Amino acid sequence: MKLAVVAIVVLAGLSLLLGAAGFGLPDADILWQLRVPRTALALLVGAGLGISGAVLQGVLRNPLADPGFLGIGGCAALGAVIAFYWGFTAAFPLALPLSGFLGATLGCVALLLVFSRAQSGPGLILAGVGVSALAAAALSLLLSAAPNPFALYEITFWLMGGLQDRTLMHLGLAAVPIILGCAVLLRLGPGLDALSLGEEAAASLGAPVARTLQLAVLGVALSVGTGAAVAGGIGFVGLVVPHLLRPWVGQRPGALLWPSVLGGAALLLAADMCARAAPLLLPLAAEPRLGVLTALLGAPFLVVAARRVAP
Amino acid sequence: MLFFQRSLPGWRALGGMCGALCLLAGPACASGVVSLNLCTDQLLVLLAPERIAALSPLARDPSLSVVAAQAAAMPWVRADTEAVLRLRPDLVLAGDYGAQAVVAALRGRGITVVQVTEPRDFAGVASEIDAVAQALGQPARGEALVATMQARLAAIPPARRGNAVFWEARGFSAGPGSFGDAVLRAAGYRNAGTGGEMGVEALAAHPPDILITNAAPAYPSLATDMLWHPALRHLRRTSVAPALMACAGPWSAGAVEALAR
Repeated sequence: MKLAVVAIVVLAGLSLLLGAAGFGLPDADILWQLRVPRTALALLVGAGLGISGAVLQGVLRNPLADPGFLGIGGCAALGAVIAFYWGFTAAFPLALPLSGFLGATLGCVALLLVFSRAQSGPGLILAGVGVSALAAAALSLLLSAAPNPFALYEITFWLMGGLQDRTLMHLGLAAVPIILGCAVLLRLGPGLDALSLGEEAAASLGAPVARTLQLAVLGVALSVGTGAAVAGGIGFVGLVVPHLLRPWVGQRPGALLWPSVLGGAALLLAADMCARAAPLLLPLAAEPRLGVLTALLGAPFLVVAARRVAP
Repeated sequence: MLFFQRSLPGWRALGGMCGALCLLAGPACASGVVSLNLCTDQLLVLLAPERIAALSPLARDPSLSVVAAQAAAMPWVRADTEAVLRLRPDLVLAGDYGAQAVVAALRGRGITVVQVTEPRDFAGVASEIDAVAQALGQPARGEALVATMQARLAAIPPARRGNAVFWEARGFSAGPGSFGDAVLRAAGYRNAGTGGEMGVEALAAHPPDILITNAAPAYPSLATDMLWHPALRHLRRTSVAPALMACAGPWSAGAVEALAR
């Protein structure tokens, strides 16, 4: 744990030295207006995605759960994009995190409605695929009616996810909801441990099952919804982080929470640093998108994990 | 509503009559010109407004079109084969990208389609105007339009104004050989744009003498939000009305005038 904190501090320090202007300490404007918000947002968004993955895998008792392909990220993007393209964000900046949160809540609730009937297993993941597809379709439909005639073209890049050119304002808007979401999720340890025995067994042990589910929805919606609103579609972090950590901390879902916060933060920051370093090291005209990098890392991981889970 | 319902049969009869007459008279009974592209829309309005059967919907957007006011009173059509065929145009103007399936389908039905390529400099604009004016049978109006543009450009006093970056949506810059490059040179700037994406940090680290962007669009845009990043607040910058640069055309002389001011 101490090691992880030290690693994050070192990564964050290096991250402040890395950017398009070259490796080294930049002038104050670039440092404060570009690299600080970018580094802090990578840590926050990654932490939120990491712990949300751990909580969802615990609550749903499904090791393939991930806020991205369960459709929660897609629903958050839907909310945030509506708020942006229809001018709510310009009129009232808090509309950005708020709409991401509302979209993510909607996605979580849709998922839990399916979950209560079909229990866990492949059915749940398929329901997530359905929720994702619905959110993507609604997004395209709404964007083709947006006041900006280029909205549909622009959104492709945003949906790939990234932290390029974010401002201190984005950091200010996202920090509180993500920290709040993580704080809610971090308190779910005992409830998740009880739930790992199944809902009925957990209830018979006196665990507050319904309350745990409600708080999980609130926490995931806050951290994933706000994260997606400022960073676009970044997938697989929530899937990969708990899997990477289980060999170190064991199978108990409650023990995974803090490590997933730190692991998610470190992983997303490292991925974002790779994105920034790529044009400096390789003959690339532009930075690769952060969501593309996490998918390159995470998609093979999903295939392996799916094989292990398959009966 | 009532009026509309009553008048509908009348219109339908009129349309049917016109259609029958056209069938009898053949190609000589031309109903007009359809433009499928914002750039050809604007040339059509300037060269032959009396022959317009329909423009593209973007022609009426004041942030993109210099003829938005005139176009607001004119019919418009989406780039859709059936919708265009219903108008029975004798000539269709289109760009060389977008709506290619529609262009192929219209040509397949024997309709003349003139496609224009986006010019890369003012000489290219002049030959584009000439080609469209010829196709419309209005060479004299075309020559007048070219002469006005050239007179406006010639009236700009030569000067050296330092280096500039024309910075567009998603951080793309006008590179050497682009129309933005031609506009910068005509206004007396040296183009420091690469032609590729230039990020906020790269510009903040190596600021040009002046940063030129399109004026903020009237609608929210994720692709242009970054152009106003606070890390660039100290840069000297100016903006150009986007309609002057959305299409390369005679109106783009206005962008040169604005930049040379």
